[in-house]
Amino acid sequence: MTMVEYFSFLPYGKYAFYVWLAYGVSAVTVITLFLSANRKHKKTLINLQNKYSRK
Amino acid sequence: MWKWIQRQSSPKIFYQTCANLTPWFFWPFIGFLVIGLYWSLIVSPADYQQGDGYRIIFIHVPSAILSMMVYAVMAIAGGIGLIWQIKMAEVVAKVSAPIGAAFTIIALVTGAVWGKPMWGAWWVWDARLTSELILLFLYLAYMSLNNAFDNPRTAAKSSSILALVGLVNLPIIHYSVKWWNTLHQGYSVGTGGLKDPDMQIALALMFVASIFLYALLVAIKAKTEVLIREQNSRWVQEEVTGAVS
Repeated sequence: MTMVEYFSFLPYGKYAFYVWLAYGVSAVTVITLFLSANRKHKKTLINLQNKYSRK
Repeated sequence: MWKWIQRQSSPKIFYQTCANLTPWFFWPFIGFLVIGLYWSLIVSPADYQQGDGYRIIFIHVPSAILSMMVYAVMAIAGGIGLIWQIKMAEVVAKVSAPIGAAFTIIALVTGAVWGKPMWGAWWVWDARLTSELILLFLYLAYMSLNNAFDNPRTAAKSSSILALVGLVNLPIIHYSVKWWNTLHQGYSVGTGGLKDPDMQIALALMFVASIFLYALLVAIKAKTEVLIREQNSRWVQEEVTGAVS
């Protein structure tokens, strides 16, 4: 059984594997971008706070 | 307008503008994304030739347009930084690069995933695909060059020149389907593009969502970059102390 057949129970039948793979990859990329940007901002704030408190 | 630009070139005001604009970009992004996904996956009818496989267009086309648009913004901002020595333009250029690279990766991956059922191949060395791949390499080269220098001003100058030279690739990507006999289909927007109004609405909604996403990410990343660059300023110290406590 191929991946395409395996995922054909999902909406869009024979194209389900391709459609959901494309949307899934995009969602993961966007979420990673957003979370990493937020995490870096918070980390920078904490690093700078530590730097200023040492002074 | 010029006065407003001059005002924004102050790191403190630029930081505050980014902080103020973040929620104004976040909520419209979520709104347009949710409605856009509903229109793309539920409302839009199946294509008469490609069936439901065509629905990849609603993420592929906006990300491909954004990959070029972000590059243009990056190069223009880099050019402004180079000519007028505006530090905040350098910040916009620098933070745009990874976002543009991500849009390019999404465009390439979704294109490959769409190509497999329609062309029978994940990848072909077609003019559109190859020029888009070159765009990804340009983004990677820009980021590598920008990180190769300790001094942010020197890094911005050299990488901006690279970005400006790379601008020549944008018309090549856009007109590749016209100039060469490509396997890639013609324009998806305008004449010969999507015909059904629901498909057009879905594409427009996802495009607007992508623009808000770009603006949101630039605002968040620019705030971080400004804090790092201006860490020896008094206002950053006050801002950070206030934000953490």
